[in-house]
Amino acid sequence: MTPHTNTNTPAYNAETDPVLKFSQLDVNFKTEFGRVHAVKGLDLQVMPGEVVALVGESGSGKSVTATTALGLLPKTARIGGQTLVADKIINELSERGLRSVRGNRVAMVFQEPMTALNPVIRIGEQLTEAMEVHGIAHGREAWDRAVGLLEAVGIPAARRRAREFPHELSGGMRQRVVIAMALACDPEVIIADEPTTALDVTVQADILDLLRSLKDQLNTGILLITHNMGVVADMADRVAVMFKGEIVERGTVEEVLLNPQHPYTRRLLDAVPHLGAGHGQFGTSPLPVAADAGMALEVKDLVVEYKREGKKPFRAVDGVSIDVRRGEIVGLVGESGSGKSTIGRALLGLIPSTSGEVRVLGTDALSVRGKGGNELRKRIGVIFQDPAASLNPRLPVGDVIAEPMSVHKVARGKEREKKVLDLLEAVQLPRSAYNRYPHELSGGQRQRVSIARALSLQPDLLIADEPTSALDVSVQASVLEMLIGLQREFGFACLFISHDLAVIDSLAHRVVVMQYGKVVERGNRDQVLMNPQEEYTKRLLAAAPVPNPIEQKRRRDERHALLASLGDEIVTLDTRELSM
Amino acid sequence: MTSNDDQTRPTEPVMGDMPEKTDPLDHLLSVDEPEKTDLHDHLLTVEEDLEGNTDRSYSQGALVLRRFLRHRGAMVAVGGLVIVLLLAFTSIGVGPLPGWWPKNYSDLYPLMNGGAPTMKLWPPAIGEHPFGQDTIGKDYFAQVMRGAQISLFIAFAVGIMATIIGTIIGAAAGYLRGFVEAFLMRTTDLFIIIPTLVLAAVLGQMASKAGVIALALVLGLVSWTGLARLVRAEVLSLREREFVAAARAIGTPTPRIIMRHILPNALGTIVVNATLLISAAILIESALSFLGFGVKPPDTSLGLLISNYQSALTTRPWLFWWPGVFILAIALCVNFIGDGLRDAFDPRQQMD
Amino acid sequence: MTKFIAKRLGISLVILLLGSALLYILTVNSGDPLQDLRESNSPNRENLIRQRTLNMRLDVPWYLRYFTWLGGASKCLIGACDLGKNIAGQDVTSLVVNAAGSTLRLVVLATVLAIAIGVTLGVVSAVRQYSGFDYATTFMAFVFFSLPVFWAAVLLKNYAAIKFNNWLVDPTFSPVTIVVTALIAAFVLQAAMGGNARRRLITFAASAVVFAGVMFYFDAVTWFRYPSIGLPIYILGVLGAGVLVLSMTSGFDNKRVRNAVALTAVVAIGGYAAVRGLLMESPSTPLLLLCGLAGLVVAFLAGWFLGGFSRKQAVIASFVLALVAAFIAISDLLLSNWSGYLKLQSRPIPTIGSVTPNFTAGYWGHTIDTLTHLLLPTIVLTLVSIASYTRYTRASMLDVLNQDYIRTARSKGISEGKVVTRHALRNSMIPLATIVAFDFAGLIAGAVVTETVFGWQGMGNLFRQGLLQIDPNPVMGFYLVTGTAAVFMNMIADIAYAFLDPRISR
Repeated sequence: MTPHTNTNTPAYNAETDPVLKFSQLDVNFKTEFGRVHAVKGLDLQVMPGEVVALVGESGSGKSVTATTALGLLPKTARIGGQTLVADKIINELSERGLRSVRGNRVAMVFQEPMTALNPVIRIGEQLTEAMEVHGIAHGREAWDRAVGLLEAVGIPAARRRAREFPHELSGGMRQRVVIAMALACDPEVIIADEPTTALDVTVQADILDLLRSLKDQLNTGILLITHNMGVVADMADRVAVMFKGEIVERGTVEEVLLNPQHPYTRRLLDAVPHLGAGHGQFGTSPLPVAADAGMALEVKDLVVEYKREGKKPFRAVDGVSIDVRRGEIVGLVGESGSGKSTIGRALLGLIPSTSGEVRVLGTDALSVRGKGGNELRKRIGVIFQDPAASLNPRLPVGDVIAEPMSVHKVARGKEREKKVLDLLEAVQLPRSAYNRYPHELSGGQRQRVSIARALSLQPDLLIADEPTSALDVSVQASVLEMLIGLQREFGFACLFISHDLAVIDSLAHRVVVMQYGKVVERGNRDQVLMNPQEEYTKRLLAAAPVPNPIEQKRRRDERHALLASLGDEIVTLDTRELSM
Repeated sequence: MTSNDDQTRPTEPVMGDMPEKTDPLDHLLSVDEPEKTDLHDHLLTVEEDLEGNTDRSYSQGALVLRRFLRHRGAMVAVGGLVIVLLLAFTSIGVGPLPGWWPKNYSDLYPLMNGGAPTMKLWPPAIGEHPFGQDTIGKDYFAQVMRGAQISLFIAFAVGIMATIIGTIIGAAAGYLRGFVEAFLMRTTDLFIIIPTLVLAAVLGQMASKAGVIALALVLGLVSWTGLARLVRAEVLSLREREFVAAARAIGTPTPRIIMRHILPNALGTIVVNATLLISAAILIESALSFLGFGVKPPDTSLGLLISNYQSALTTRPWLFWWPGVFILAIALCVNFIGDGLRDAFDPRQQMD
Repeated sequence: MTKFIAKRLGISLVILLLGSALLYILTVNSGDPLQDLRESNSPNRENLIRQRTLNMRLDVPWYLRYFTWLGGASKCLIGACDLGKNIAGQDVTSLVVNAAGSTLRLVVLATVLAIAIGVTLGVVSAVRQYSGFDYATTFMAFVFFSLPVFWAAVLLKNYAAIKFNNWLVDPTFSPVTIVVTALIAAFVLQAAMGGNARRRLITFAASAVVFAGVMFYFDAVTWFRYPSIGLPIYILGVLGAGVLVLSMTSGFDNKRVRNAVALTAVVAIGGYAAVRGLLMESPSTPLLLLCGLAGLVVAFLAGWFLGGFSRKQAVIASFVLALVAAFIAISDLLLSNWSGYLKLQSRPIPTIGSVTPNFTAGYWGHTIDTLTHLLLPTIVLTLVSIASYTRYTRASMLDVLNQDYIRTARSKGISEGKVVTRHALRNSMIPLATIVAFDFAGLIAGAVVTETVFGWQGMGNLFRQGLLQIDPNPVMGFYLVTGTAAVFMNMIADIAYAFLDPRISR
């Protein structure tokens, strides 16, 4: 690396001085409509071997802060204050100087492992690249080191994997590759921007174990950007809470998570669904199901297959039986690829079922056609995951909510308008939202519109496919609270599909756990979540982090014990592989 | 939930909703104003914002229009095209309607100064024959205007027709898949093997005897595949979007899904490519007329004028220049409008 | 991958067959082949009509005629084509054979040039988005895109060619021309290179001086009448290309790649020095090909054996260098023969035909003659299709540059140039592979028009004359060649697609 003597701060001590330091960082962007002030005078530092969590919700400016450390902000950004990486002042470096710091002194782990790797370059080559650029190693030496890194982050058959392309790896494996890439030049500090957000909980736990061993063994400083309080509790030494471009609270992880001072932090923590807290954690709890309630949904031996060209069909759902009684909320839990969303779509008739039986409110839903089918659809409401994608951007909110009524020719004119206004009130949106377009609303407001649309025909059954997982945690809390309230009011049955056990815990009467298209375990909420019988459920529960550092440490040790008892390895950085 | 709950638990509205306020213009324009730091203050203001701005709501269409109007190149092009259209259709008139230009395109006038153009930039003067006269004395300005009328008519007719055909086939292929999709894809393959111009030449040879309208019809029949493919691709991605899934889940009939949910969202693709079709049509028409398979005398078109006078370039250059400049100007304007529309519909590239 | 391409090829062949039927039907129904005779006042009118009816077998239903044609055409598979006779009784097969060469040469050359130039411009304007260079490129792309081909061709023929020929009689630059040209060229170059104000100023000044110096030198030695590269400049060129190739591939630190490239350069220089005399004295196509092949084999072997662990990179780098060296060598040979050619053709840029008829010159004279005839039509066709490649590349490149993996690459500290060439370029080429097939069809159509303007006796002329006379056989002959070429081009695009995108190759 080229020494830039003019930008060195005097007497930098690698042992005691921070590896990353922002002082009075101020960032604003020029946009089509004016300037947006993203970060306002932020001070933060990360010491060697320390994990500092920067917590905040979307739009808080936390990712902008992280990107500043690599000097990678777009040209429209105006940056004030100072950013130090070890002894380098980032703002004052030339483009060449910046490049010698990037990847070498400070490395980044990005959120989306599916898109963070170049699809047309072999994994090994992507790893050796940084080493060759920074002169760490060349040719075969670099390749061997790359293979070593892949082994170190726990990728089996690393030598073969290095020759593969990213699309041949799963999401968790790709994230390990991204972490290996960040380690390639042994940087002083790693910035991990939502490193586990796109991953399943069990994979998340592994990746967190890996990151933790990394700071312990290599004395690397880590700036962890996240919105997940459980991850913070699991990983961080110190925490800074960011809100609208400013840090509103900071302290050790125990101080901030166990004894929050600032109202925003308190609200944020209150909003996190807590596994084990059960019903009523957001103020309301669903009514118990009447003992003689009839069946709202009966699914028997449902099989859904996807055709694949030149291969035998892929069985996404393999003989699943579920039933939901009237007024009951059943949580359907599983990780990606478990088939839970496929079930939801098959029930709605969006994809064809291969075999099995589905009865909705006593009617055979798979064979019914025409008028009967329409009658049936009137009685099913649906909410999808992505509030940005589930509303037609060309229709104003009033039309969106009225759409089911106009399709089924229910109510007209003034009466329809009144119903829409009532629904807006029910989902706590002002009447003025009637003429708004979806792009003018925030994520939480859009999801409320989705809920209003789902309820517009007063359905008997609601299918909610991950309705809150794209929302910020505080928005999630209020949406869940509202949903429970509406369920009390309207009394619909609900199949609530989610990957988040804590969310399920807050509202479901019963829980069904799925893996690889099959039901693994089912039962009452407290029975499944508090006293799981099946190995997979145990793993799932053990992997879900809770926002309490003390409890989380205990849970982590328990999980490691569980993994050990199941004969699994705990993922740690295998430094032997890096000794070359 | 009762209103009482609201007061006891001030969790509404929600923090996460705050960075994005309700009116994007309002929000983004106001960001440089001093921010309120009091948290609760903020919590209370958001809902009020939504209440207070009922009269200002921007639909996607309004935003697109706004961006289009701000696109300088496109606005210049719109101006240019309007001038050409006005000039072509008002000067010599259309059919029975007379224009303001006293000469017509078929009469012979005494040759003046070898037929050279009389138009002068300084001192500005139009003169007797601004674009000059052809070899036998016809007024060339009137002829070029007549050619421009026919070329513009064909271009817009082809553009509109091919857009309609392409949209219908593309939407059907993308949403229903199956036979229509196979048909579209194989037709596309066909046009890779037989170039559009070649097929148009053969068809034009047949149709041009029947006049300009027949020629426009024939060109429309061979020009739709590109647009259909793009519409299909757009529809394929739209049908996987959740709002379409939501519409299907509530039992919306297929025609309604296509008309209300899919096509309005594919409008950008359709409009942008319709403009490209128009500029392609004007070039194809002129090339066909040049080769002798397009517009036939006594009709005239810009391409035919160039074809007639290509050997006159050294002796009477104006006979060659004017129609070419008009083709170039029309095609260029239409293409710039298309570019402006693309940017207006797809602001991603503008933003960063 | 093989299966994928085989399937596509199968579909293309079926479409080729159906297309032939369609075109045949449309052609025979597009008019009356006896029209001119019916209108004639010739005393033996009836006789002529009868004769043509007999010749063109107009008394036989069209589908029988079609099948006869199809039968004859399918014999091409066994190398004995019979494409029938045209209205004048000439054998279409031999007409096609004569015409195909020049047209395909034109279209393929224009395709290659358009891709090379268009992609380069597109990449640069994407990387320098919203710069003056970007706006200028975009504007020029729109102009070329909106340009009527035939109009541009006539203009080029009448102004560029004739003026250039006039100028070449006494090729001198006036000092003003030198200064203005050098300043403009330097301005464009600095806009394309980018960087901060200081760097751009240096680029501008340095390149202006170089351009002016080169022009002054050319002027002083009347280079345009007696051009040459010569061995010394060849050596400099190859070495420079070697440095460039290295900096674009592995950089200078990887000594294995460096050795392979160096060896290739040394062999290219030594080899060319040895055979240059022979190639000047007694050239022939096989000899040239042999030399070129030898160079490529050496490059391959050098990369393979010296590359060691970086074998792939080394092979690619030395291969590219060998290609560049071969190109410089050919240019040197052609330019060295230019003054000889000028003695035979005082106006070297022809505006009519695809070769000079009855031209007697040596091997190099004929080669130069063919190239000069190609020059104007190629420029026209290239200009017209550069536009779409530039626009598509720019859009695709901008899209790729916004991807997460580009941010990842930047976060590793990779230089911007390498981010573009190594990470973005290949990804942005993926959607372009499908454009090539469509563009090729457009170029064939463009060739029909261009050939008309430049009076080539090519495929376009065959088609146009055939169609004007409602004579199906020449039209079908045209279709057979261009359609097969399109299928072939399509296949190349598919292979390129599979090669570019590892996700579909398995």
